[in-house]
Amino acid sequence: MSWFRRHPTATAYLLLAPGIAYLAIFYLYPTLQMFLVSLWTGTAEGGYQLTFNFGIYPQALAQYSDHFLRSLLYGAIATLLTFLIGFPLAYFIAFRGGRFKSLLLFLVIAPFFTSFLLRTLSWRIIFADQGLALGPLKDLGLLPDEFRLTATPIAVIAGITYNFLPFMTLPLYVALEKIPPSLQEAAEDLYAGTWQRLRRVTFPLALPGIFAGTLLTFIPAVGDFVNAELLGSPQSQMIGNVIQARFLRVSDYPTGAALSFILMAAILVGVFIYARLVGTEELTGGTS
Amino acid sequence: MHDRGDALDQVIAAPVTRRRMLQLTAVTGVSAFLAACGTAGTGSPSPLATSGATAIGASPSPTASATGTPPAASATARASATAAASATAEATATAEPTIAATRAPVSGSFRWANWVGYIDRERGPRYPTLERFTQETSVTVEYEQAVDDNESFYAADLAGPLGVGQPTGWDLVVLTDWMMQRLVTRGWLEQIDTNGMQNYPANLLDAYKTREWDPGNLYAAPWQSGMTGIGHDRGATGELDSLEVFWDPAYAGRMTYLSEMRDTIGLSALRLGFAPEMLTQEQFDESLAEVARAVNEGLVRQLAGNSYVDVMALGDAIVAIAWSGDVQGLLAPDQGPDQDFQWVLAREGGMLWTDNMGIPKGAANKAQAEAWIDFYYRPEIAAIVEAWVNYVCPVKGAEEEMVALDPALAENTLIFPTPEMLARLHSFVSTDLDTAQRWEGAFADAIGL
Repeated sequence: MSWFRRHPTATAYLLLAPGIAYLAIFYLYPTLQMFLVSLWTGTAEGGYQLTFNFGIYPQALAQYSDHFLRSLLYGAIATLLTFLIGFPLAYFIAFRGGRFKSLLLFLVIAPFFTSFLLRTLSWRIIFADQGLALGPLKDLGLLPDEFRLTATPIAVIAGITYNFLPFMTLPLYVALEKIPPSLQEAAEDLYAGTWQRLRRVTFPLALPGIFAGTLLTFIPAVGDFVNAELLGSPQSQMIGNVIQARFLRVSDYPTGAALSFILMAAILVGVFIYARLVGTEELTGGTS
Repeated sequence: MHDRGDALDQVIAAPVTRRRMLQLTAVTGVSAFLAACGTAGTGSPSPLATSGATAIGASPSPTASATGTPPAASATARASATAAASATAEATATAEPTIAATRAPVSGSFRWANWVGYIDRERGPRYPTLERFTQETSVTVEYEQAVDDNESFYAADLAGPLGVGQPTGWDLVVLTDWMMQRLVTRGWLEQIDTNGMQNYPANLLDAYKTREWDPGNLYAAPWQSGMTGIGHDRGATGELDSLEVFWDPAYAGRMTYLSEMRDTIGLSALRLGFAPEMLTQEQFDESLAEVARAVNEGLVRQLAGNSYVDVMALGDAIVAIAWSGDVQGLLAPDQGPDQDFQWVLAREGGMLWTDNMGIPKGAANKAQAEAWIDFYYRPEIAAIVEAWVNYVCPVKGAEEEMVALDPALAENTLIFPTPEMLARLHSFVSTDLDTAQRWEGAFADAIGL
C-alpha cells in the first residue's frame, strides 16, 4: 500500500497501463500495419512486397477525388441536418421533458435495439418507387410517376442523418441538461428575448455538446458505406464504398489502405481546424 | 434428349484456350493409362471427355506450384486410383447399390455457405431436402445464404484465413467455376474423398468431367449450372429479347446490372458481337466502356449480386441482368397482381456458368460435407432440388426422376435448355489471376466503386 502512496506517478501509469496496452495492440499496431500495407506494390497473384511506394497516395487521391468530395459533402450535410433536428429535440427533452425525460431519452436510443443494417434495408422497402410512402402519393397524383427516393443522393444523406441522429442528440442533451435554469432566468430578468437568450446564453453553454456531437456524427458519416450501398446508386457511392471494394472485391490492398489513410488525415486536419475555431477547452466542459 | 446432352457437353466443357491446346497435345503415357481405365468402366466416353481427363498428367500441377507440398506424381497416382474406382462404381451403381459402404457413418454437423434461392425451401424457413438428409444420416446442416457474389465472399470469408493457413469456419462453399479454379490453383480446397461414395462422381454428367482445372472432379463437385440473361417484369416492359434493352434510355433508373464482372461484361461483349470465351484486352476495354457509359448516364439503378432479386421484387427495377433460375424460383412465386416476371435468353446470346461445391482447406467437418455431396448426387434428391431452384442439373438420371416428379418440368427450358439455346450460350474467358485482378479493378471503377 505504502509503495503506491510513495509513488503517485507510477501508480497513475499503472492504472493507465491496461488502457494503453489495449490501444497499442488493437489500434496502434493495426494502424501501423495498414500504413505499411499502403506502401506495398505487387499483385494478388504474385504477392505483395513492401517497396515504400509513396506515389500511391497522390495517385489514389487523384483517382478517387470525386468520391472524397462527395463523402465530405454528404457527411457535412448530414451533420448539419442532425444538428437542426437534434438541437430542438435535446432542448425539449432537457427543459420541457419533466417526468418523461427518461422515457424520451430511451426513445432516442430505442432504434439501436434493432440492427442498423436492418433499419436501413427497411427504408428500401418503405421508400420503394411504389412502396408504402411513395405509392399512395403517386396514386393521388401528388408526385410524378418517375419520381424516386431510393438510389438517389437524397436517400443516402437522409439515411445517414437518420442513422446518426442519436450521436448528435445525446451529447447535446448532456450539455443542455447541465445549464442551470437560474442562468436562463437571469437572462430573462435582464430583458433578453427568447432569441437573444438562446443565442447568448444557451447556445454558448451548449458548445461542448455541439462540438462532441458534430464530431461523433461527422467522422463516421464521412466514412460510412452502408447507406450509400443500400440506398444509393452507382453515382452516389462514397469513399467508404471504394475502400470496401478495394479490399473486398478487387483485393487491391495498397490502394484501399492508402485511401483509408488519406481519409484519416483529411478528417484529422479538419477536426484540428474545427477545434481551433470552437476551442478545445470547451471539450472539458469546464465553463459551467 | 441425346442432342441436348451432346450440346451441353460442348458448352460446359472448358473452352479451348491456347493453354488447353498445349495440354491436349502433351498427353503422356500416364494419361494414356488413365484413359484406358476410364474407358474400361464407362464404355464409350466422348473423345473430348477422354482428352480432357488425360490432361492431368501433362499439365504442371497448379497445386504443387502454389504450395510446393504435394508431389505431382503422387497426386496423379491418387487421381488415377479414384478415377478407376469411380469408373467401376459407375458400372455397378446402376444396378443396385448393394456393395456395403466403406465409409464410416458420420454424425455431427457442417456449415454450408450457399447463394439465395439455391435449395428447395419452405416458409419458416425450412429446407425439406436438408431435413431429409439429417433424418437419414443424423448429420445436421448449418445452412446459410452467405454468398451474394463470388469476389466479395472470397475476399470477406476465404482470402483472410486461408492466406495464413487458418480454417474459414465453412465446411462447404458454393462458388462459380472460375473462382473454384482460383482456389484450386492456390491449394485452398480439400480434396473430396470419393472412396466409398455411392453416387459421386459416378452420377456426374460427362460434360463436367473434362474441366482441365479439376481433373477427376476431386475439388469441385458441380452444384448447378445456369444461364445469365434478361430478367424482366413483362407486365411493365412487354416482350424483350435483345441485350440492347440494357442500354435503352426508356428504362433509365429501372435496371440493375450484376456486380459479377463476368456476367455483366460477358453480356456487354455479346452485344458488341465479341465472343466472351476468347475476349481480348481490347474487347474487354470496349465492353467495359459500354458498361461505364450506362452507369454514368444513370441508366443503371444499382449494381448488385444476388440481391437484385429484392430490387426487382419491390418493383424498383423492371429489367435486370439476371440468373436463369432466380426469376422462376424466387420472383415469380411471390409476384404481385400487376407483375409478370420472366427470364429470357437474349438473341445475341447469354452466359453459361457452373456453381460448385467445394470444401475449404482445413474444414473441421469434411466428412459430413462429403456425405452431403454424395447424398445430393442421388438422382431423386437432385431432382427435388432442381424442381425448386430451376437451374440446370449436373446429376445423371435426375432428368428422368424429375419428369416422373412432374411431367410439366420436362417443358421447362431453364432446367432443360433446348439445343438451340445451348448454341447461344458462352463461357467467360479464363484469364490468369493478374489479368483477372486488373479486370475486376477496372470493373469496380466503372461501376462507381
